[in-house]
Amino acid sequence: MARERVHPNYVAVWLWLVGLLIASVVISYLPISRGVAVFLIFVAAFVKAVLVALNYMHLRFERPLIYAMAVIPLAIFFVLWIVLYPDIALR
Amino acid sequence: MAEAHVMAVGVETRSVTGIPTGKLGVWWFLASEIVLFGGLIGVYIMSRLGGAGWSEMAAHLSVPIGTLNTFVLLTSSLTMVLAFAAAEKGNPKGVRTWLLLTVLLGLAFLIIKGFEWSSEIGAGFTPTAGAFWSFYYTMTGLHALHVLGGVVVNFILFLAALLGLLRGSEHRVELAGLYWHFVDIVWIFLFPLLYLSW
Repeated sequence: MARERVHPNYVAVWLWLVGLLIASVVISYLPISRGVAVFLIFVAAFVKAVLVALNYMHLRFERPLIYAMAVIPLAIFFVLWIVLYPDIALR
Repeated sequence: MAEAHVMAVGVETRSVTGIPTGKLGVWWFLASEIVLFGGLIGVYIMSRLGGAGWSEMAAHLSVPIGTLNTFVLLTSSLTMVLAFAAAEKGNPKGVRTWLLLTVLLGLAFLIIKGFEWSSEIGAGFTPTAGAFWSFYYTMTGLHALHVLGGVVVNFILFLAALLGLLRGSEHRVELAGLYWHFVDIVWIFLFPLLYLSW
């Protein structure tokens, strides 16, 4: 049986999303190494995506089948990326 | 074939999966969309890592405009999920208000994007100005088409709510929301990939 759905605090999630957006932009202007900046910016993007998926798309209340439908295409994408990457990196 | 039964709220549910058929369909669609955008983004990342001069091209994009548009889309996700919450609480006025705001924010995103494209093309950065610009217009164009599709769907739902036709079919707001939030997630990655220096 599906877990009972309670509505998360949607406004609080939005505040986190906006905060992470501002943090990403600020990081891109900071005088730090490009590698560190890129890492932090994409960590922020990943956290934002997870916040939207779990709270706005209510994935946290969904059944395993729905998770599978979201994760399997992502896995296919990563396999595709890893398989093709040497063609670019070793060119 | 799996049996289906109808729950009290009128949502048809597959007995095998226990998931409403509409939701299952939307997630199947989103699975194909993940592969579509994932493939495009993957090729972009590989091409960018394998070539020089992309950062210089990306520096011509307006970070303030990109940030504003990201803010608009994130806010539209909030209004969309609030429409769904209002639908679950049986609040038709709330559904109408939040859906209309979502439509307007989606249109605002498209208008800002159109303004941005016209200024970039005016500056000579056309889709044929280089690989970066080809990717930029392809990815943002495909995303904008998805936003436009979402705006149309949300507007139809708004009209249905306005005419009282949504009664008993409130779950459609959730289904439209799943798609809208997915489009938001795609932009969450497109923004740093295209706009923020790396």
